[in-house]
Amino acid sequence: MGEKLLEVKNLKTSFFTHLGEVQAVRGISFHIDKGEAIGIVGESGSGKSVTSLSVMKLLQYPGKIVGGEILFKGKDIVNYSNNKMLKIRGNEIAMIFQDPMTSLNPVYTIGNQIMEVIIRHQKLNKKKAREKAIEMLKMVGIPSPEKRIDNYPHEFSGGMRQRAMIAIALSCEPDLLIADEPTTALDVTIQDQILKLMKELKERIDTSIILITHDLGVVADVCSRIVVMYGGLVMEEGSSRDIFFNPQHPYTMGLLKSIPRLDLEEKKRLIPIPGTPPDLLKPPIGCPFADRCPYSMKICKMKLPEFFEVDMGHKASCWLLHPESPKMKLSTGVRKEEVK
Amino acid sequence: MNNNKEVLIKVENLKKYFLVKKGFFGKKLTYTKAVDDISFEIKKGETFGLVGESGCGKTTTGRCIVRLYDVTAGNIFFSNQDIGHMKEKRLKPLRKEFQMIFQDPYASLNSRMTVSDIIGEPIDVHQIAKGKERQEMIYELLNKVGLSKDHASRFPHEFSGGQRQRIGIARSLAVRPKFIVCDEPISALDVSIQAQVVNMLEDLQKDMGLTYLFVAHDLSMVKHISDRIGVMYLGKMVEIASSKELYKKPLHPYTQALLSAIPIPNPDITAMRNAEVLEGEVPSPINPPSGCRFRTRCKYAMERCKEEEPKFVDKDNGHLVACHLLE
Repeated sequence: MGEKLLEVKNLKTSFFTHLGEVQAVRGISFHIDKGEAIGIVGESGSGKSVTSLSVMKLLQYPGKIVGGEILFKGKDIVNYSNNKMLKIRGNEIAMIFQDPMTSLNPVYTIGNQIMEVIIRHQKLNKKKAREKAIEMLKMVGIPSPEKRIDNYPHEFSGGMRQRAMIAIALSCEPDLLIADEPTTALDVTIQDQILKLMKELKERIDTSIILITHDLGVVADVCSRIVVMYGGLVMEEGSSRDIFFNPQHPYTMGLLKSIPRLDLEEKKRLIPIPGTPPDLLKPPIGCPFADRCPYSMKICKMKLPEFFEVDMGHKASCWLLHPESPKMKLSTGVRKEEVK
Repeated sequence: MNNNKEVLIKVENLKKYFLVKKGFFGKKLTYTKAVDDISFEIKKGETFGLVGESGCGKTTTGRCIVRLYDVTAGNIFFSNQDIGHMKEKRLKPLRKEFQMIFQDPYASLNSRMTVSDIIGEPIDVHQIAKGKERQEMIYELLNKVGLSKDHASRFPHEFSGGQRQRIGIARSLAVRPKFIVCDEPISALDVSIQAQVVNMLEDLQKDMGLTYLFVAHDLSMVKHISDRIGVMYLGKMVEIASSKELYKKPLHPYTQALLSAIPIPNPDITAMRNAEVLEGEVPSPINPPSGCRFRTRCKYAMERCKEEEPKFVDKDNGHLVACHLLE
């Protein structure tokens, strides 16, 4: 195991709305090592985006971190002032957002927006910053960057805008890159290009990546470790092979069974997860998945399960893994033999 | 297997151009060729999938077929009646037969109408039922899509995305259509909810003998639900085949590239996958490349591809493809 770059401990984030406190993230812990790529998977409302915004400390009113620690390079950044965060944001931790159409400023040129970051964090003069910006655009694969640098975002296509976003994010060679659904708004062929680019750049700059997505295919491609979130909590964590071939939590199993698989030969009827995710205004006392879980027991609705270690680095929060729970054969997502 | 089935929809040389104003004060007129000369058939009871990147004209095709757009040229036959150029007055009684499910369940339901009004509207427009009978019909439809009677008096904002999509589906079923265009019906929904809606669409098809045109960009889901699939690129149809055949033996280089770009949820396969990435982006449909439209991104492009447009030919028992390489 490498050196821990970021460690999140029991993070709790809430939004204080006029309806009451929405507990979007209810105490999650995970870590990321140097040079590693992890995926955070979950449905909308599972708290995955709020987690990333908490780490960046970009939560807007009425959102607030209400508990826990975020250790970045060993220092707790939860109580850092905004000024202190400005030095970290963009420089040491950078972020790519889902929608490249709205996250670039339409009234500044692409070059201007890349140079802004470089000038702020690297103390280069304008001319040098421009050279660096051209170099960055070239690195992310934008053709004739010398000309393109003076274009405005509307002159770029969706895929190129996302490339420009990556150029901005990586221009200061951050230690950690958080990508929040970076390819959801893009076509498959463009998604493929962007994912390949991210993998290449990860090797080149040696950046750690947190990839947040709902697409299990995308995480399988990029990440070596996966954190599955549901209802503001971590349900399961493990290497991507653990999660895909040996899932332990019924939610992970349900997710894997509900997607159509191109890699399996015959057509099977999809097995959906019944019901809808829990309301986080009144989060359930027990396991948030208990209402939709086919294996739900009495205790599941009464008490939140702790984490049970299945294997080295593979753990799941489910009562079924308790030594005293009834042993049964669960129908997991895919077994390796099924794959052609 | 569907070869001897009756053809429900027949599209012949369909074209749809949109007028774009350009230049100073919009004096220069050009056209976006959203759909440019495509032909295909949909047989009764089958699901025909339409895939392609954004801007390839798949949604426009769907909207032309249900005549939400007037077609520029070409014919659309619905049960042997040419609806492509029919006047609205004659078309209205026929509109019962074909319906549409929209992509965005948040935008496609009127937020000021109750669920009962939303589902009742097509019933009123086509004067299918009145009074108590109408109410009974609405309850039955709600039941069919997995909602309950109590939901009828609520407003759309009280529902989740998946439930809203169910309301949209109930609305389209209200007139007992034969044919439904599903325009990306699940792309706005969560993974666990997508499977619920897809299974429901499959059940409804079986119960009511529906025919679907399923427009989507999620290729794994299209493979799952479709019997036959058409692949579009920049307003052209490049390949049509049964879904099994298409995924096993794609013939057109674009289809091959598109399929290889699908991320597969299996870390072992993605590790082995020979990463051949399709370079570049879709050119503008205002000024498409000459000859074969895919040639600018195709790794096999030849001189001939530039000069001559490939013909759409049957390669193998209903596997149609348009590419010079295969001639």
